[in-house]
Amino acid sequence: MAEYDIYDVEDIRKLVDGELPWTTVQQMMKNGKDRDRFDKWLVILQGRVPWKEKILLPLTPALFIVQKPKERVVKCRCGHEFGDYRVNWKLSALIYVRDSDEKISEVYRGHEKPDTEWIQLREYYCPGCGSQLEVEAMPRGCPPDFEFLPDLDTFYREWIGRPLPETVEFVDRTPERIKEWTSR
Amino acid sequence: MTSQLKLKEQLKVNDELFAKTGCMFGLEKLTEKENNPGLYEAVWHILLSVCNTAWEVGCKVSASPVAAEGGDALWALHTPTGECICTSYGITAHVGLLAAMVRKFIEMGYEDSPGFKQGDIFENNDPHYGGIHMPDMDTAMPIFYKGKLVAWASSVTHVADAGAVLPGSINFMNPDTFSDGMPVSLERIGENDRYYPWYELRIKSRTRAPDWVLGDARGRLAGLITVREKLLETIEKYGLEFFEKASREYIEDSRRYAVARIRNQAVPGRVRKSQFKDLTLKGKVVIMPKQDIDLLSNVPMEMRIDANANVHLSLAGASGSVPFGQNITPTALSSALLMGYSHVVGFDMFNSGPTFALTVDTPPPGSWCNPFPVDWFASTGMGWSSAIRWLSSLYEVTGRLYYMRGFVEEMSAGAGTTMAAEWHGTNQYGQYAVCLTLEQASNGSPARGIADGEPAAWCLYTANADFGNAEVMELYYPFMYLGRNMEPDSGGYGKFRGGMGHTTVWMVMNTPEIHYSAACAGANSKITANHGMYGAYPMPGDRVAYAAGTNVKELIEQRKPLVHERGLDPDYPTLSQNIVADVLNNDVVVPANIPETLHEYDLVINPTSGSQAMGDPIERDPALVKDDLDKGLTRPWVAENIHGVIARKEANGDWLVDEDATTEKRRLICEARKQRGVPFREWWQQERKQIVAGANMDEAVKRMWRSSMKLSPGYAAELRAFWNLPADFEF
Repeated sequence: MAEYDIYDVEDIRKLVDGELPWTTVQQMMKNGKDRDRFDKWLVILQGRVPWKEKILLPLTPALFIVQKPKERVVKCRCGHEFGDYRVNWKLSALIYVRDSDEKISEVYRGHEKPDTEWIQLREYYCPGCGSQLEVEAMPRGCPPDFEFLPDLDTFYREWIGRPLPETVEFVDRTPERIKEWTSR
Repeated sequence: MTSQLKLKEQLKVNDELFAKTGCMFGLEKLTEKENNPGLYEAVWHILLSVCNTAWEVGCKVSASPVAAEGGDALWALHTPTGECICTSYGITAHVGLLAAMVRKFIEMGYEDSPGFKQGDIFENNDPHYGGIHMPDMDTAMPIFYKGKLVAWASSVTHVADAGAVLPGSINFMNPDTFSDGMPVSLERIGENDRYYPWYELRIKSRTRAPDWVLGDARGRLAGLITVREKLLETIEKYGLEFFEKASREYIEDSRRYAVARIRNQAVPGRVRKSQFKDLTLKGKVVIMPKQDIDLLSNVPMEMRIDANANVHLSLAGASGSVPFGQNITPTALSSALLMGYSHVVGFDMFNSGPTFALTVDTPPPGSWCNPFPVDWFASTGMGWSSAIRWLSSLYEVTGRLYYMRGFVEEMSAGAGTTMAAEWHGTNQYGQYAVCLTLEQASNGSPARGIADGEPAAWCLYTANADFGNAEVMELYYPFMYLGRNMEPDSGGYGKFRGGMGHTTVWMVMNTPEIHYSAACAGANSKITANHGMYGAYPMPGDRVAYAAGTNVKELIEQRKPLVHERGLDPDYPTLSQNIVADVLNNDVVVPANIPETLHEYDLVINPTSGSQAMGDPIERDPALVKDDLDKGLTRPWVAENIHGVIARKEANGDWLVDEDATTEKRRLICEARKQRGVPFREWWQQERKQIVAGANMDEAVKRMWRSSMKLSPGYAAELRAFWNLPADFEF
């Protein structure tokens, strides 16, 4: 697909920022996909955060997995850190739960309102900047979604051919965090 | 080629070759593509045109409103062993089902008895043997060239009435399989390009709209013959050998395309997304006592992408089957998944290829997505219902993965819901009619990575969303459209919102009486339609409104305002403002068969959802909020309190944003969040106590958890561990 590696960083920046004409966007959608998009993407994202740690993978528009000297952590664009990327970052977020008619009425009205005995609206905020990072609509009892646990080493080593300096185990460490909470 | 083999033997060889090489038919090289790229591409487009021509012919021959006006149908071309080569526009969810059906004919030994010959017509709609639900009638025809079976043509149409226990084709209310309708169980239903008379007699006596159902049958047949005749011309022109080689390469090519897209645009790892599907029938009109119940279904998705970019899906945690038509079989679920893939992953040469780029673990036996091992009598009357929620997860998680690699132009948030409107009664021609309108085939589309979704122009289950022309629907059905309008804020609240859904307002006309059903084809009503994505708020669930015994006739005579939309204020809807009626309900939790019989001048307000938004709503460009305010697509209180945009209405009716006040408002919103938010661990400790106490949990929620945990012990163990609950804890 090398023939499609035709966009430069500025093209992708304009795409991301909605500055391209729709016809150009459509053409980019129809074209084969550039193999080096991820590299351009990292250049754009790295230039937009106020901190220096290397971004390994953007998880969401606000959250990134970054390389610290000894570990890989989830970091907000504002600089707040959520710890090991293998633990669901939500466990380190602020949470506000709309589980009453009064609280849900601040978001929905009349026939729009869900029944709070069936579902609670969980809002996750960054403790640093107050960004609303995710909103889950869950029945009571549902653990938060751990939306994505990347196999970072396989990705860097086998998919893009740039192995990371150190390999870490691809494992969900969220249960360990819960155990720490319960054993103290 | 190993054409001397019986088809059953060839199937075995194909499976072995795939297991050995990882390539369909063992095609490690695509020689026709490499050696004759122009011809390879040209013949693909010819085959595509053949299928699309069949769709045009078949839908028009059918003349039923669902096919002719809505295009809810599909024609496809298959290899002799059933793998789909190419498909038409239309309801692409069926490609996998049709391929599985042809394979089933072969596995059942039909090649020997009753045998395959030119002009044979085979059909299935029975979910026990690979169908999805009875109204989707899957038909296939073998195609012979110079005495050799060289391909199959297949088709599906969604018929207006399945002959189920209640009228219509969105048969969510069926208590068991015996109420699912008229079965055709892997049968030969015709020879020499004609249906058997007894097949037609069965339709006449066992469906409520036999003219339309037979019209659909004839439409399917017309399209199948079109595929056959056009294919034979193509083979005559380009040679059988080329066709046989190229057709297999198209499938392997498509598999590789799906794998390549994942490898180039996604990231290996584990994805999880929860979804839930509500079903509230307690206290409503039901058929059997066991249906007097409210239910919540657990629709979890776990996706693993391995080092080879193969995708593995699990439904561990799925809750139990239900005494309604909301169950689906693994075969149908896989086919539904292929449709999702056709939208977001492998859509270049769309056929069976992507099926072989992914695996789906067998869902828990006895769950809504694998009911028959435990309950052979389970109904699948509206099998799409919960699967549609699952497919929404596929959209969202794929969008998240694409974002990580920077392919923002390919991103999509999750899907909307699909509540269907059905009517039955006497039409304007004095005949009994069952009426599926097509409103649900035009959701707002999901938010994109760089823009809002499109309004009322997208549908999860068909690539060509089309809600049909109101004026044409009025020719078929006894009501008048008083309005089709975009529903404000129906695309959720986010940096980019989903496309707006639309709301239809019908006035009953030219009928002595008719019944309306807000039917469940994938609706949510007690709960929100979805989650948010990246901090957006979910779009609301589906609620309908209606008024029976109205003063509309007098209002028309007095030339006073009627009702053309729901209105901007859900606490004071236009229906309540303008209409006086014997029964008036603005907030009907769906699904529901409206208990009152409706008559002339009665009104129904029927919403079709928007789709999921993405991004923190206070990051929405104030100019976009202003634009929505100007167009009446958002409410002032939403602009201020959810988006943090301070604006005032000018004398000319346009809105003016106060930039400084907006910046300050958004800062205050962030501060308020930090003030009211609590550390997760603190909430977790409190929430655990609430869970143990079962506080503020509807019985439907508890019932769902009991069922999920019973059917999936591993899932149960993980849930208990998360909340630090005892090993024997039950909800």
